[in-house]
Amino acid sequence: MKQKLKKKDLFFVALYGVKSRRGRAALTSIGIGIGIAAIVAVTGISASGRADLLATLESLGTNLIKASPQAGFFGTQEKLPDGVLGMVERIGPVEEVTSTTQTDLLVRRTDFISEFEGGGISTVVTSSELLDVVGGNLTEGRFIDKGLSNIPVTVLGNVTASRLGITSLAKPTKILIENEWFGVVGILDELKIHPDLDRSVFIGYGVAETLFNVDREPTTIYVRANPTYVEDVVEVLAPSMNPENPDQVSVSRPSDALEAQEAAEVAFTNLLLGLGSVALLVGGVAIANVMVMSVLERRMEIGVRRSIGATRKEIRYQFLLESILLSGAGGLIGVLLGVGVTLGYTNYTNIVFSIPALEVLSAILLALLIGALSGVYPAIKASKIQPAEAVRK
Amino acid sequence: MKTKAKTVISLKNISKVYEGPPPVKAVDNISLDIKEGDLVSIVGQSGSGKSTLLNMIGLLDSLTEGAIEIEGQDVSVMSDNELSKFRGEKIGFIFQSFFLLPGLTAQENVAEGLLYQGIKREERLKRAKKVLQDVGLGDRLEHLPKELSGGEQQRVAVARALVQNPAFVLADEPTGNLDKQSGDNILSILKELNKQGKTIIMITHNLDHAKKFKKVVKLVDGRVVA
Repeated sequence: MKQKLKKKDLFFVALYGVKSRRGRAALTSIGIGIGIAAIVAVTGISASGRADLLATLESLGTNLIKASPQAGFFGTQEKLPDGVLGMVERIGPVEEVTSTTQTDLLVRRTDFISEFEGGGISTVVTSSELLDVVGGNLTEGRFIDKGLSNIPVTVLGNVTASRLGITSLAKPTKILIENEWFGVVGILDELKIHPDLDRSVFIGYGVAETLFNVDREPTTIYVRANPTYVEDVVEVLAPSMNPENPDQVSVSRPSDALEAQEAAEVAFTNLLLGLGSVALLVGGVAIANVMVMSVLERRMEIGVRRSIGATRKEIRYQFLLESILLSGAGGLIGVLLGVGVTLGYTNYTNIVFSIPALEVLSAILLALLIGALSGVYPAIKASKIQPAEAVRK
Repeated sequence: MKTKAKTVISLKNISKVYEGPPPVKAVDNISLDIKEGDLVSIVGQSGSGKSTLLNMIGLLDSLTEGAIEIEGQDVSVMSDNELSKFRGEKIGFIFQSFFLLPGLTAQENVAEGLLYQGIKREERLKRAKKVLQDVGLGDRLEHLPKELSGGEQQRVAVARALVQNPAFVLADEPTGNLDKQSGDNILSILKELNKQGKTIIMITHNLDHAKKFKKVVKLVDGRVVA
């Protein structure tokens, strides 16, 4: 026989069940809500992190290659051969190249600080192209450009600046390198993929040569290659720089480190997702539990409905839909909560906000599915209640 | 001139045994014919099988033995779905404890009586309003059950049974939870309905009420004794 209860009416019948027990419905939905919130927040935060990373990689470029001499057996650094810059420039897909020379010159804020408390800041001798090649920005001032190369001025890496307590260049500021005073002309923004540069101060080749007798031999080479051929350049870089002993050159892509870090975070994200799923499971069981209780309490209602013409199927659908409504409400609250948490987190950490719509959609679908599964047993139980038993005094 | 009324409900040696242990024979081999327009009261001690009998007539309970014909149809061979729809269309139930849904207004409660008939909500509410006016509750449409007196609640329940315009009204001690005045009121509503041609079967403890009925079925231990 044809079912006569209209879909719209079925919805209102189920909604009545939820509405007439608001407090309980709210408490029941919380489990699902927490689970969905956890899942949405975790995927949201991780997606935001990924989006931020992509933005960072895009701005920095994945086509940056860094080459330096392999650390020797006793920690000593081999030198790069003479004329190495020229050799690198002759590799076809190389677009830009620059070099720096690492020194062990001591950096101090003032001469009141002992010579033994350098604070892990290194002095890097550089030419003006470095900033362009590594894709850096200045938060303040200017970089060591050609005109400043011979003058005792310096630019601070981001971490260096905060370690030395220099946050603004509004007033003329000087620092001490070895025993010479250098005026600070600029502060770099965080470079992210070059933590070593963040912890450095930069001076020009001219002044390094005059004051400290540093020779111009590069210790690190930065290469920008045509993005299509990055892998190829990585392959030929070492043999080009040191044809006799290519294994003495260490070649790396700084973006790899970020990607590896991201991969580690993915594992952690999966763990959190697992925890969220457990919350969902518990939430589902809670709904099933409450629905079974509700069926027992509402025998009268079931009896009345059967006596006014409801079939078993209509009773089953009613309780199934009620369960789905409960979990759906939980899911919706969870999504709002999860989006809120993600928004808060991205605001707080100042990263790009990104939540994949597909994940939000699947979170809601998941909640509905759990509701449906949790509702199956109570719904069958409700439909099996004999009408005569249900209306018994 | 009154034509001879036809038999609309025919019980043929029906029995009901509740599986034990020990098994209880609640209704024991009852045969009974109820004619169109009958006003029947079922009386008997607690546990004499009155409610079981009424539930079997109302198709809420299954038979262990025997057969029931309603309007010439053998209902004992009907599927559960068919029984549900048959109840919905032909039989109106009134219960001792009213059984109104607490979260719905009087009008909505009455309209629920038509919920499973495929009738639109506006139409259901319209018909509910009409029936509530008929039982004298035209001014209580928007009241929740808890805002109504016992007598009023039972009148809402009566309206719910009537809204589907059933051929039969089955009432299980509808006055059992009411004071005398409210009980008499319900009874006069039922008698009025009977005058309009409805077949009414009512369980009662109240012998005064029973006396007013044309036909009295007395049960002792699941058997008809009078």
